[in-house]
Amino acid sequence: MAENFKRNDGLPPAMTRLVKELSRLPGIGEKTASRLAFNLLNRPRDEVIALAEALLEMKERIGLCGECFGLSDAPRCPICADPDREHDLICVVEGPADLMAIERARTFAGVYHVLHGAIAPLDGIGPDDIKIAELTARVQGAAAVREIIIATNATVEGEATALYLARALKPLGVKASRLARGLPAGGDLEYSDSATLTSAISGRREL
Amino acid sequence: MPAEESTPAIVLRARDYSESDRIVTLLTRDCGKLGGIAKGAKSSRRRFERKLEPLTHLTLFFRRRPHGDLVFITRAEPPPAPAPILDDDLGKIALASYIAELADALTGEAADSADAYLMVARAFDALGRSGASAAMRQSFELNLLRVAGFGLEFARCRVCGNSPSEAGAAAYFVVARGGVVCARCRAHAPEGAVRLSPANAAAMAELAGAPVEDAARMTDAGAEGALALARFLGSILDRRLRSAALLDSLM
Ligand SMILES: [Zn+2]
Ligand SMILES: [Zn+2]
Repeated sequence: MAENFKRNDGLPPAMTRLVKELSRLPGIGEKTASRLAFNLLNRPRDEVIALAEALLEMKERIGLCGECFGLSDAPRCPICADPDREHDLICVVEGPADLMAIERARTFAGVYHVLHGAIAPLDGIGPDDIKIAELTARVQGAAAVREIIIATNATVEGEATALYLARALKPLGVKASRLARGLPAGGDLEYSDSATLTSAISGRREL
Repeated sequence: MPAEESTPAIVLRARDYSESDRIVTLLTRDCGKLGGIAKGAKSSRRRFERKLEPLTHLTLFFRRRPHGDLVFITRAEPPPAPAPILDDDLGKIALASYIAELADALTGEAADSADAYLMVARAFDALGRSGASAAMRQSFELNLLRVAGFGLEFARCRVCGNSPSEAGAAAYFVVARGGVVCARCRAHAPEGAVRLSPANAAAMAELAGAPVEDAARMTDAGAEGALALARFLGSILDRRLRSAALLDSLM
């Protein structure tokens, strides 16, 4: 399914290069990429520089929080650094976009753990390929963890990850729960609305 | 526009393609193995909901495209019979994934894969009912290999035709022969033959001759049987199955 990149005949090489880079982005086809490129061409120079700098700064400064592995431009993200959050309540999500979806719902006062993926047997992604060992180490190192809410997606991969986590957390004697089943209808947490997420969290069941 | 076709199907593989589309590989009852694209699968819950996930049974509606290998998936509906529950146990997910990947590897796009579809459907049903076990895995491997034209022989010596287990002696699995040779004919077995104890050789013969539904009540052929099957699969597949790692770690 390699996207066949057609040569833009008549386009200066610098434009062709930009169109090619833009069309690598998800959801951007060649047509959209050309439109964006022409739009950028017609913008004031300082706006284009600001965009280029923002891209570079994002790439250079954004790393992972040392505690929750969420995106952060500091060693510790604002959520982990916030004394008002409940640090003994950890919500485990697959990716940063899921964390953002739950934050948008403004219903969860604990902290997070971002796995950066899910166990996907058919893709050969196993427990060691995502941040599960980091979670168990974090639980063992913490003073006390009241509960771990497993908020992986309602997909086969998300369920596999939740079942594996339940197994891994059991010997540590920590209470683990799973989001109410079936609530995020399409499976992907990041596409769920706030009301759905709120009821999924409040309706969670113990594993 | 080509007519809409429909068939029961099982999703073997699925991946997101672009922001809203999904590309899936399906084993179907009536139309062989198909690759398809579902436009807007991630946004149109009404047409697709969660059904285009790997390991799912569904009734597939699609149109063939005059150019291009992928069929155009128009919608997915629930399967004709209730689908087994596979995602409530890690062992079930791991074995079902392995079954799907092995079936994918052993069936060609154009080939008539109705038998493979039925075998996977029956294995999923058995797995949903009884949970994962080594016997279930070995039974599926043996049955699917038979359907794919690789009937392995464990009941009779490939050289003299006698039953190796009757003599109460070990048997030796030879990949190139697709079966065992008995202890007396061992001179015909090359260096790398896999030794099977009498009990494991007998278990292999039983599993090879029994339907996958019976596997839950049967004895597996141990690590020796697993090794024999792994060696044979390794000889006919061009790559190691990705799902094997998780499955091996669980059983
Ligand atoms: Zn953090
Ligand atoms: Zn013999």
